[in-house]
Amino acid sequence: MTEIRLQVKPVLRAVVPFVIALVLGGFVLLATGHNPFDFYQLLVREAFGGTDRIASTLSSATPLLFTGLATAIAFRAGVFNVGVEGGFIMGGLVTATVAAKMPGPLAIPVAMLAGAAAGVAVSAVPGWLKARWNVDEVVTTLMFNFVVTGLTGWLVTSFLQARGVANSATPLIPQPNWLPDLLPPYALTSGVLIGLILTGGYAAWIRLSMLGYELRQTGLNARFAAAQGINTSRVIIVSMLLSGAIAGLGGATHALGIVHRFVDGFSPGYGFTGIAVALIGRNSAIGVVVGAILFGALASAGTTAQLFSDIPLDIVDVLSGTVMIFAVIRLWRQR
Amino acid sequence: MIQGLLHSSLLLWTPLVLAALGGLLHRVSGVVNIGLEGQMLGGALIGAIVSQQGWFLGTLAAGATGGLLGLLMSLCITRLGANEIIAGLGFTIVISGLIGYLLRSVFDVSGTLRVNGLDPLPEILGMDPLFWLAIVLIPAITWALRHTAAGLRLRATGDGFDAAGALGLPVNRIRDTAGVLAGVLAGMAGAHLVLGQVGLFNEDMVAGRGFIALAAFYFGRSRPWATALACLLFAVFDAGQARLQTEGVPAQLIQTLPYVVVVVVLTATAVRDSRGKARRAG
Repeated sequence: MTEIRLQVKPVLRAVVPFVIALVLGGFVLLATGHNPFDFYQLLVREAFGGTDRIASTLSSATPLLFTGLATAIAFRAGVFNVGVEGGFIMGGLVTATVAAKMPGPLAIPVAMLAGAAAGVAVSAVPGWLKARWNVDEVVTTLMFNFVVTGLTGWLVTSFLQARGVANSATPLIPQPNWLPDLLPPYALTSGVLIGLILTGGYAAWIRLSMLGYELRQTGLNARFAAAQGINTSRVIIVSMLLSGAIAGLGGATHALGIVHRFVDGFSPGYGFTGIAVALIGRNSAIGVVVGAILFGALASAGTTAQLFSDIPLDIVDVLSGTVMIFAVIRLWRQR
Repeated sequence: MIQGLLHSSLLLWTPLVLAALGGLLHRVSGVVNIGLEGQMLGGALIGAIVSQQGWFLGTLAAGATGGLLGLLMSLCITRLGANEIIAGLGFTIVISGLIGYLLRSVFDVSGTLRVNGLDPLPEILGMDPLFWLAIVLIPAITWALRHTAAGLRLRATGDGFDAAGALGLPVNRIRDTAGVLAGVLAGMAGAHLVLGQVGLFNEDMVAGRGFIALAAFYFGRSRPWATALACLLFAVFDAGQARLQTEGVPAQLIQTLPYVVVVVVLTATAVRDSRGKARRAG
């Protein structure tokens, strides 16, 4: 009996916010004269109906896989990192710059490492401040997002601007340095594989390694973990650095795989959707994968559904924001 | 020149300080309000539409909209145990998504809504009424926090949530009230953007001001005068941006200033707290 409950509860916890969001979104659609059932059917068809649609969904899920994983790894340690957006953007800019300048076969790995390092640089300061002086990481990481946005904008317009391009963008990355496509006619790059490998690595690491154990313990109860002899400051810093590295890698694969340069509006809030992904996936590896695919499906299907119906893409924001809110509320009494 | 800069600074200051004072009240009750941005946007849209019936009703409607959104957000936090940061971010995403959706599907415009018969704020002694409201609110809130029973209860709820609850204070209701007040002020700040500055509604018009307001009450350490001064500092930088830019200081870096300031202030506070603790322990 208890075994069944243990199985059902996490699934319910992931599904219920989504269902509530669909219902509330349905009311919005109904109130504006649209049939929600038709629209949701269209969404499902556009998200999963055919190889090209599935490829497009996975492609949209790829950045969310990274930002969701980056968020989950920090949340798991009890560190409330909402600065993944900043790491993603900084990683994208640095990778795009390196890959545009560097020839040769090593360009892709070097550019990706540089992107990861950029993400680490963004998360290191709030992580250290939290570990050393217990500075509230929620506010500092949130603020760092805005700082990074301004900083990257400034770097692009004053130093890295491509010649002959009207809006602020870095030069195009030469084609040999693009991430190879998986299913050639469709825009699904090998970035999704990198994301899945990282997620698998996270699952094994958190379960099997010493540090993974310490991370989980710190997340469950930091004071008890400290009493056990775990160096919680170190755990906090490690989780923040890993989170930053994954966020930076996410930006790197997005630059090398999809955008092929860095432009203004490089991330339409992938970092924030990543929070929703981590929350709905309860910070587990499999949950992050499922969450990323769900939100990726929403984004990719919403974009094409916009073409076939007069329903604007903004409905997707309404849905994902609602999921975020309902993923953190207590839907039933705990215990 | 200087006069022009001063006037535009005060114009930019008004919505910042209104939202920041709202956030301050919520902060004093112990909740960090990340939803100000969305509440401002909601207030701006409704304020613009209702101002067809006059600016006063428009402003009231904007305040009511913000208050309602603030109440919904607060209920999620106090009654349903939602994390305040996630709830705030989530509400901001939902509200801006909903507004973008309504603009495109109901009003049939892409992002910018021109309201026929929009009634701009009038001038009283050279400034608009919401500016004067802000001027009155700063000392009023300072006094109320220090000298009224409501202010004491609000502070007690923020300083010792469990202790205040054990003393029989309706802590959740106090937090909800603070959340509603924050929403009302943020909604009016949105009305100022649309009725006092721009004259039309755009879905991106709040442009991070809710987060700058957050920065201001952190910088001001939840004291009304200090918070208002922080807003003035950010407003002067905002107004002087164009001038500074011609001097070679890039606008994008100036815009990050409020956020850097918050990190510095938080760090300074935390360092002082930990030193204080160490001294007491030693």
